Amino acid sequence: MKRLTRLLSPLLILALILGSLPVVAATPSADQGLIGTATVLDAQASQQDRDKIRRVLAREDVQQQLLLQGVSPAQVEERVAALSDAEARQMADRLDQMPAGAGVVGALFAVFIILLVTDILGLTDVYPFTR
Amino acid sequence: MTDLFRPTGRKNARTAGVLALVMSLLLLAGCATTPQLSPATRQALPTRATVGDVPFHGQRDYQCGPAALAMVLEAAGRDTAVDALIPQVFLPGRDGSVQPEMLATVRRHGLIPFRLETGFPGLLDELAAGRPVVVMQNLSLPIWPQWHYAVAIGYDLPADDIVLHTGMTPERSVDFGRFDATWARSGRWAFVALPPGQLPVDEDVDANLRAITDFESVQGSAAALPAWRALAQRHPDAAMVQFALGNARYANGDAQGAKQAFRAAVTAAPTLAPAWLNLGIVAGRTGDSDTARRALERAAALPGPWQPRAREERKALAEETDA
Repeated sequence: MKRLTRLLSPLLILALILGSLPVVAATPSADQGLIGTATVLDAQASQQDRDKIRRVLAREDVQQQLLLQGVSPAQVEERVAALSDAEARQMADRLDQMPAGAGVVGALFAVFIILLVTDILGLTDVYPFTR
Repeated sequence: MTDLFRPTGRKNARTAGVLALVMSLLLLAGCATTPQLSPATRQALPTRATVGDVPFHGQRDYQCGPAALAMVLEAAGRDTAVDALIPQVFLPGRDGSVQPEMLATVRRHGLIPFRLETGFPGLLDELAAGRPVVVMQNLSLPIWPQWHYAVAIGYDLPADDIVLHTGMTPERSVDFGRFDATWARSGRWAFVALPPGQLPVDEDVDANLRAITDFESVQGSAAALPAWRALAQRHPDAAMVQFALGNARYANGDAQGAKQAFRAAVTAAPTLAPAWLNLGIVAGRTGDSDTARRALERAAALPGPWQPRAREERKALAEETDA
């Protein structure tokens, strides 16, 4: 992943610089659109080009991580596309530590007694038979 | 003498030990007190609420995420199934589903996920308004977490019970204290999934603005337009909302409506440069060069990241009118 980042960063920087050059040089073309809502909301938070690069990298990163976690390649692009920028960044930064809702599955036997007590105290909800 | 005192000492030690155990358990778990609902909140809410027509799907294996999503998506009239949702949200490597992807999957199905940030009273508000709420809980203790998604479908104030579609059990009543203890461990994470045009009870403009913008980036302006209309109706004086409405209208071919919204935006916030700029661009393209010139003047005079673009547009307009 690091190597990919190291490879992608200069390319992206170059692409962004090249992308912004014609805007400076030429008069605006007719099909240049309006200022988008998301652009303005993001600009209120920060105006750095570096942020733009990080956003692109974050999505690449999440895609890699999802593939590693066993998501099928056919699904991964659509899954990443449905994330907001902030969500993609969160997942890129800390997917390992993120809680993954798994549900009501049997708890470890080793902690059975303690959880039984906390269940009876009304602190947890592991064993439905305590009520 | 010493013998006489020893038993008492030992008893004290035992009491202290039990106390320490209980205290450390409480520290681990946080306190399971009934969440604070002010008498005013209780009074404002209906005594009982049940959201009708929320289908139940029992979870298989680790798939409470897809099951919870299927319930709220179907309740909102979306045609889907747990089996179709598993490849969209389940993470095999983690034996579960993570929060951002829960929200992202809602977007893929054409609904807007609004996070609930108002805690327990906010949850009851949504239930009273007839919306099922997806909640994330840690059913176990923080050191052995057992993360779980459930769907809240009702409550009963006199009984202090919340009703959940959870795991393998439909309509399970859980008392407020136990539920809040398990919910608090996720930071009281919850969301409602609403069709564009419906808004959550919570009137936080910025949060709702963000939620709709994120939806628009995935589903496009045509799908988001009803949501912007509803938000603008609720907050007619919020400049960014009018700005967003203007953009969505223009993207859907309604230039007059867009101009009107951009005008409302600059009336509410005369220093919102992108709104002046977009007003100028749209006015220019619809042949209203007086409005365009005035708006672009204002945009070009405001310092910020859009100033260069505003100057260009102003120049282009001037050349066009000269020619």
